[in-house]
Amino acid sequence: MSGITGLLWRFPSLQMAWRNLGRNRVRTALATLGIVIGVVAISSLGIAGVALQQQATADLGSLGNEVTVSSGADSDTDGVTHDQVDAIRSVVGDAPVVPEKANQTTLSSRDGEEAFVSVTGVTSADALYTVSAGESPERLRSGALLTNDTAMRLGVELGDPVTYDGRLYRVRGIIESDGGFGGGSELVVPISALDDQENYDSVTIVAASGNEAQGIVATLETRFNEGDDEELSITNFASIQENVNSFFGTLNLALLGIGAISLVVASVAILNVMLMSTIERRGEIGVLRAVGIRRGEVLRMILAEAAFLGVIGGVAGAAASLGTGLAIFEVLSGDPTLVFEWQSLRYLGYGFGFAVGASVLSGLYPAWKAANDLPVEALRG
Amino acid sequence: MARPMTVVRLDDVVKRYRTGGEVIAALAGVDFEAARGEMVTVIGPSGSGKSTMLNLVGLLDTPSEGTVRLDGRDVTDFSEDQLTEERRSEIGFVFQAFHLLPMLTAAENVELPSMWDTSRDRSDRAADLLRRVGLGDRLSHTPDELSGGQKQRVAIARALVNEPDILLADEPTGNLDQDTGRTILDELTRLKNDEEVAIVAVTHDEQLVEYADRVVRLVDGVIQ
Repeated sequence: MSGITGLLWRFPSLQMAWRNLGRNRVRTALATLGIVIGVVAISSLGIAGVALQQQATADLGSLGNEVTVSSGADSDTDGVTHDQVDAIRSVVGDAPVVPEKANQTTLSSRDGEEAFVSVTGVTSADALYTVSAGESPERLRSGALLTNDTAMRLGVELGDPVTYDGRLYRVRGIIESDGGFGGGSELVVPISALDDQENYDSVTIVAASGNEAQGIVATLETRFNEGDDEELSITNFASIQENVNSFFGTLNLALLGIGAISLVVASVAILNVMLMSTIERRGEIGVLRAVGIRRGEVLRMILAEAAFLGVIGGVAGAAASLGTGLAIFEVLSGDPTLVFEWQSLRYLGYGFGFAVGASVLSGLYPAWKAANDLPVEALRG
Repeated sequence: MARPMTVVRLDDVVKRYRTGGEVIAALAGVDFEAARGEMVTVIGPSGSGKSTMLNLVGLLDTPSEGTVRLDGRDVTDFSEDQLTEERRSEIGFVFQAFHLLPMLTAAENVELPSMWDTSRDRSDRAADLLRRVGLGDRLSHTPDELSGGQKQRVAIARALVNEPDILLADEPTGNLDQDTGRTILDELTRLKNDEEVAIVAVTHDEQLVEYADRVVRLVDGVIQ
């Protein structure tokens, strides 16, 4: 006798339930398959939601962490002054503060190709720009960064010179065009290139997280903008991040709802299977009752059958969902091991819990019906 | 052999059924008793109320009127749960169609009535009973590996596992050929004396009458 039956022998209801399920393996397998599908639906849709959310957050990237400060509506100056930048530095702590000056120009290549670019003057490039080729110097004193597509169009390569305001800058790094937000072509030059501009157009503060960024916003608001007086305009995209998170929260609930429907269908199938199997075994259950098996014992036996279906289906479904989750993360983020993080792993637990719960719930009525059937009626039928 | 002592007793028992708006008295005032070490055979045509009487004696059903006594105690108004406890400890059943559970071995089928009582290990008693009915080499066979006569022996062993006072047999030889039926009846006779149980058998098999200590004829719900 195998190990599992030996162990089950100490729990007669489980023992009998296990043997009963073994009697009609095809039916047991099909009932379990319904549960497996339900669990896979719940778990993998949940995991897919998590993966989509993580991907979207990653795509938004540092946007939520950046606080942008520009001259406010009630400011007397045409930009952010040096004094104001120093004041900002003094209140934000360790976060890098990068003042910028902005302009536009048209770059032209030797063969006459032209490109209109926005020009940004910064003191340090590394906090704001990630280069795909070359370097992003901590202190930008000479040289320039250029967006990838502009460089391609003009045939500019690393080390080639570009001209702005009559001065030559060597391209030291190629940056990706940052698409939707303020996107397009950009030339990044040392701030000295825009010396004729007295004040800064904007100041970017790079916080460690979205929360810290919101803290900085609050600090700066109280420091510079008293009442309705807007000395500095302070913006942060953390609220976008929040909206995105809340959207994905809703999406995930909707996905789970769809998954739950399939589990409801599966538990109706289990109800049907359990009801049919107890009706088929009516005489047999009558014999059990006749020889002195108590009602509660019959009830536990049939509930155990339903629970077994749920546990087996739940385990198989969780295993299948883990596989699906690995595939989802591989496709969406290229790192399948992210599925092992609690955020997605918990959906396997939910799926399993729902499966066992729904199965036991479905077993209640058939079990109650079988246990309370009068033995004399059951033996006759 | 101990002096015959009444185990079960029906006093003026009436059982009515309602079928299709009509009330039918399956038993119309029956007095009956059975004692330890005695085999009583109840015979009668079908519809005479034999099975109804067996169900009342076996505490599977309750009478419409009259009293049922088990070991001198009035069990007429017992609840279903109390009746279950009495059946478990006092009564063994043998059915015409054997009613063994197909997924259990012979030994497990014999242990079945005490299976949920994990405080007692009945496996020795089960093996012993199976040996006594000549199935010592069939302990781990499942019912579909046994002949009809062997199945009925397993059922008899099952009926005796909880050391009951009374063994009820509903057409015990009904599904068996003449020779096999005879061996089953020999077995019952031997166990009746060894185990000191009362055996009440319901049948229309005349062969069973030969083995009976007493024969009760039931016609239209009345003992003749």
